[in-house]
Amino acid sequence: MQRRDLDTRPSGLLLQAQARLRAQARGLGRRRLLQGLGLAAIAGPFLRLALGGRPVRAAAGKAQRVIFFYFPDGVVGPSQDGEASKWHASGSEHDFSLPAQLEPLAGHKQDCLFFNGLSMGPADSGSHPGGAKKLLTAVDGGFGESLDQLLARTVGADAPFRHLYLGAMANQNNASGDKHISYPSPGVTITPEDDPRKAFDLLFGSGSGGGDPDGGPDPTQVTVIDGVLGDMETLRAQLGDTEKSKLDLHLEALREVEKRIKSGPTGTCVDPAVDLAAVGDDLYDPGNFPAVLRAQTDLMVQAMACGLTRVGVLQSSNHTSELIMSRFAGSEMYDPNFDMRSHQASHYGAKHDEGKREYADYLKQRRWWVSQFSYLLDQLAARPDGDGTMLDTSLVLLCTEVCDGNTHLHDDMPLVLAGRGGGAVSPGRLLSYGGDRHAGLLAAIGQALGADLPTFGDSGSGPLGGVLT
Amino acid sequence: MRGEAPLRLPRRGARALRLALAVAAPALACGDAEGDSEGPELSLDDGDTSRGASLYRELCAACHGVAGEGGLGPAVAGWSRPGDALIHVIDATMPPQNTAVCTGTCAADVAAYILDGLTGGGCDGSPTSPRQLRLLTRREYNSTVRDLLFTAPLDEGAPCAADVDCDLAAESCVADLCAADPCGRHTFLFDPGGETYASVHVAGTFNGWPGTVADGGWAMTLIPEAGVYVLKADVGVGAHAYKFVLDESDWIPDPQNPDTEDDGVGGQNSVLDLQCDEPGGGGASLDPAAGFPVESRPKGYGYDNNAAAGLVTAVHVDQQLKAAAEVAALAVANLDALLPCDPLADPEACARDFAASFGRRAFRRPLTPAEVEKYASLIVGAANFSAGVEVALRVMLASPYFLYRAEIGEDAGDGTSRLTDYEVASALSYAFWGTMPDDALLDAAEAGLLSDAAGIEVEARRLLGDPRARPLLGTFAAQWLGVEGITATDKSAVTYPEWQPALGEAMAEETRRLVEHVIFAGSGRFDELLLADYTFANGLLAGHYGIDGVTGDDFAQTADPSGPRAGAGILGHGSILATYAHSDQSSPIRRGVFVRERLLCQPFGTPPANAGGVPEVDPNATTRERFRQHSSDESCALCHTYIDALGFGFERFDATGRYRSDENGQAIDASGDVSDVEGFGSGTSAPFGTLPELAAILASSQAAHTCFSRQAFRFTMGYLETPEDLCALAEIDARFAAANYDVRELLVAIVTSPNFVRRR
Repeated sequence: MQRRDLDTRPSGLLLQAQARLRAQARGLGRRRLLQGLGLAAIAGPFLRLALGGRPVRAAAGKAQRVIFFYFPDGVVGPSQDGEASKWHASGSEHDFSLPAQLEPLAGHKQDCLFFNGLSMGPADSGSHPGGAKKLLTAVDGGFGESLDQLLARTVGADAPFRHLYLGAMANQNNASGDKHISYPSPGVTITPEDDPRKAFDLLFGSGSGGGDPDGGPDPTQVTVIDGVLGDMETLRAQLGDTEKSKLDLHLEALREVEKRIKSGPTGTCVDPAVDLAAVGDDLYDPGNFPAVLRAQTDLMVQAMACGLTRVGVLQSSNHTSELIMSRFAGSEMYDPNFDMRSHQASHYGAKHDEGKREYADYLKQRRWWVSQFSYLLDQLAARPDGDGTMLDTSLVLLCTEVCDGNTHLHDDMPLVLAGRGGGAVSPGRLLSYGGDRHAGLLAAIGQALGADLPTFGDSGSGPLGGVLT
Repeated sequence: MRGEAPLRLPRRGARALRLALAVAAPALACGDAEGDSEGPELSLDDGDTSRGASLYRELCAACHGVAGEGGLGPAVAGWSRPGDALIHVIDATMPPQNTAVCTGTCAADVAAYILDGLTGGGCDGSPTSPRQLRLLTRREYNSTVRDLLFTAPLDEGAPCAADVDCDLAAESCVADLCAADPCGRHTFLFDPGGETYASVHVAGTFNGWPGTVADGGWAMTLIPEAGVYVLKADVGVGAHAYKFVLDESDWIPDPQNPDTEDDGVGGQNSVLDLQCDEPGGGGASLDPAAGFPVESRPKGYGYDNNAAAGLVTAVHVDQQLKAAAEVAALAVANLDALLPCDPLADPEACARDFAASFGRRAFRRPLTPAEVEKYASLIVGAANFSAGVEVALRVMLASPYFLYRAEIGEDAGDGTSRLTDYEVASALSYAFWGTMPDDALLDAAEAGLLSDAAGIEVEARRLLGDPRARPLLGTFAAQWLGVEGITATDKSAVTYPEWQPALGEAMAEETRRLVEHVIFAGSGRFDELLLADYTFANGLLAGHYGIDGVTGDDFAQTADPSGPRAGAGILGHGSILATYAHSDQSSPIRRGVFVRERLLCQPFGTPPANAGGVPEVDPNATTRERFRQHSSDESCALCHTYIDALGFGFERFDATGRYRSDENGQAIDASGDVSDVEGFGSGTSAPFGTLPELAAILASSQAAHTCFSRQAFRFTMGYLETPEDLCALAEIDARFAAANYDVRELLVAIVTSPNFVRRR
């Protein structure tokens, strides 16, 4: 806050630097130019750029995209008997250390914001489903639109795919709706695509996202869409408000596909580098889970790298997960002779007891989830975007539906926000709060994406202080 | 503040939180970050009745009753104290297992609902059901596409009074017209050459080679006019071996069937290999909906057809367009079968003719003149007639009129709506067949025959008598019982090396067959589902169960009267036992919860914070011993009293559904108690010693029957019943009881109830 006040004051140095940038911009492509103009408006990061610091986006920069990465069943938080959390970082904003569960993020410590003291509120505290309902809606009982859906229909609406919801065994055994975290309308969830092959087909194959890059729109498909739109309008005129709002969601979806079809192939990648060979036939074989999640993660990154979407949700399994994580060959919790499920391990008991199998496995499992998140960040960081990488221009939220898996509480939520969001966020810090709502973090993410979102959730929370630069 | 009237509460339940702290102090150890400051105070004006309705169903109904009539908790309907006091009670004390679950606005919402809408409705004739657009599920979409495009319409058959009036070998008399038998049905014919027998029956791989009719042999009926013994049976696609048994002693191959094989004891079995012709080519194997997103199933609603959750996303649209293109291309490959007219004679007339006649089937209602013109012009505007039909098909198949079945209705003149006759036709056909109406049903709608309950009943009975109703009821049962996942369930290869996917598939088939058999061939009674002393198995499953006499891949009816499952009906099915278990151990909890929630409609709230996990497998203890803490710990016992003592009744069956006489060398105690079977807090005890005894308790309970009625209602209507349905449900329950709990009568009662056709 202080820094911004300081930096926005014009100074000789600033004016000098702006002039230099304008001169540089003449030699840049259009995209760079736009970024340069953005930089010129706000001086802080620009100064660092001009003075040879790490290339970062403007303070009021916008995140190009957001990914919500969900894993089930919480973390090793404070134990029932009062032992300290094994998840939450300790220290000050700029000088802090990561506990064991977050170790896989050590290489990305400077890319992440860590949080202490964020709450989802008291309603349903103690419950997995209650937490999952609030996680992205910030509304008790899930009676609200989730942030991913809101962003998809606003700032993400111009992308070929407004929303990409990929899962790994997230629909297992006909999971009930309260196990899914994306709410297009209050109280109603949609289901993720659990099959990487189908997701690939949708994005890059014969679905409307792919096709011949040289060909125009398929004229027949255009005729078909127009015909369907005609029927939609006729039907809509016959409906009452409730059914109309349902049909409007359908209509929006149809418009999205129409745009994809009428503008011809939309993706900028013809031959996306996603290897699905490792994905076995049985999507619900727990031994196959790591390969499925890996493929879905790769697809998510690839879709975003190709400019196909700006809003993504990756859902790993679902709450109270029956996923047998001891079947993950090569992982540290692998044990073919003993089945340890996620939810089973989460009830490790009242204490952090290293000698207890559930506890030991639970720690390993949580580390594994974090390592998967870390992999996602690696992939984003490996792809150039503008002056930096996709991680610089993105925001990625690591989230789960409860704090400690044994107590199920909704306070001190284990959330990690990664990426610089195009300069909207300055990561590498530990932010501590006194029970502020996580809704404020969601509002901040929304604003970083450019959404007009003064508040979010039923707590009416504005952007959490300290998150946005 | 507390002294003021009316009492007001801070918006966030700080006080409730303190209460929760007092009850379970350690529960709040996860940080001390509860930072809700006291906001504006709450009053009833803050309550939202529709949110409250959902919350009430989820959090309160289990104890206080769907209509607030009371149960485990006191009645809340007709609350006579001030509304703010109700908010206060909910905020501070409810639900008792975890008072932090519903505070603040949640409490206000629930209170508003209780005070506003809980009085129930419908009995005064006011309408109750919501108007809805019901998106076709993936299974409905596939069946509809198949019936719309790839099954040749039945030729109008000759009038008949009985099967014998038709071509007996290939037709049956359905609704007074001869109709071709469906695929999978075979007609056994035996010409006795003038002899008469006291009994002729069919025995084979499909029914377990019974030696007598009493043991399950399929009796053949003498048709005096034709002088032959006849039996029509749905034996299913695939290879079967059989013999005729004369007077229950003389086993002979079918004289009319030239295909035989050695029977292993010096004689010959007749062999039958049934395959289905697919007019139009391969319709049955079409799975155009394969790429559609999985249906979302709201918690507590176990079916794939929830209307509110049936939203169309862009992924749906993408896949719908793709499916429409694939299906249309396939369909026009056989254009002649599709067209009712000759396009060469008069293309425009033929285009209109096709648009009108096909459109009526695709949209399940007649097209308006404007719609006929629209689709006809798509056809004639294309490069050639075939391409035009293809485009028209693609539009129709992606049209909302095809993808949704509307339950909107027309103004009934009293401020309410009644479904149109065409909407009723669709509601009926999807309820009983899971697919589009046939021509007869559309004709009935056109003739106005579905505008009263009597007319609906006639068609309902016709639909239920049709073979298409059988697989649909099997699907309903699999979703009701929650066992669809059995075919993909995981078992530990270490603990259960014998487990294989084929076993899961066989278990799914077993349950489907038993349900279909009971409803359509057995007594039809709900009780028989829970009490059957027979089942259906192939060789693999019979071996797993330890039942002798069945070999090979074919399913046969089996009887094992002295076995541990006999008399337990579906409760002894592997589908249930293995679904409600873990990968490496049985689960009395999951099985107990299954019975309470699925069979008795007694849902639990969410477990309290600090609920323990599953105890680790102790090689020296029985599962029952390991779960003892549930009953010794008071906070656990609150719910587990109702779960464990019931779930222990399944303990003689392991996580793969196999019988075990002991566990880790120790004797198994499978006795228990279905306490409060008619509802939490009713104060009854019903002890049992074995699984069949447990089944008998359920089968004689009112709750199980009422629950089944609720389940069928949900599946039919596409929503979880609300208090406004209670009057209609009471009537449905009464008809179910009056019909001796015949499932088909229950289904007829549901579709003839006012709520089936009336909308608010």
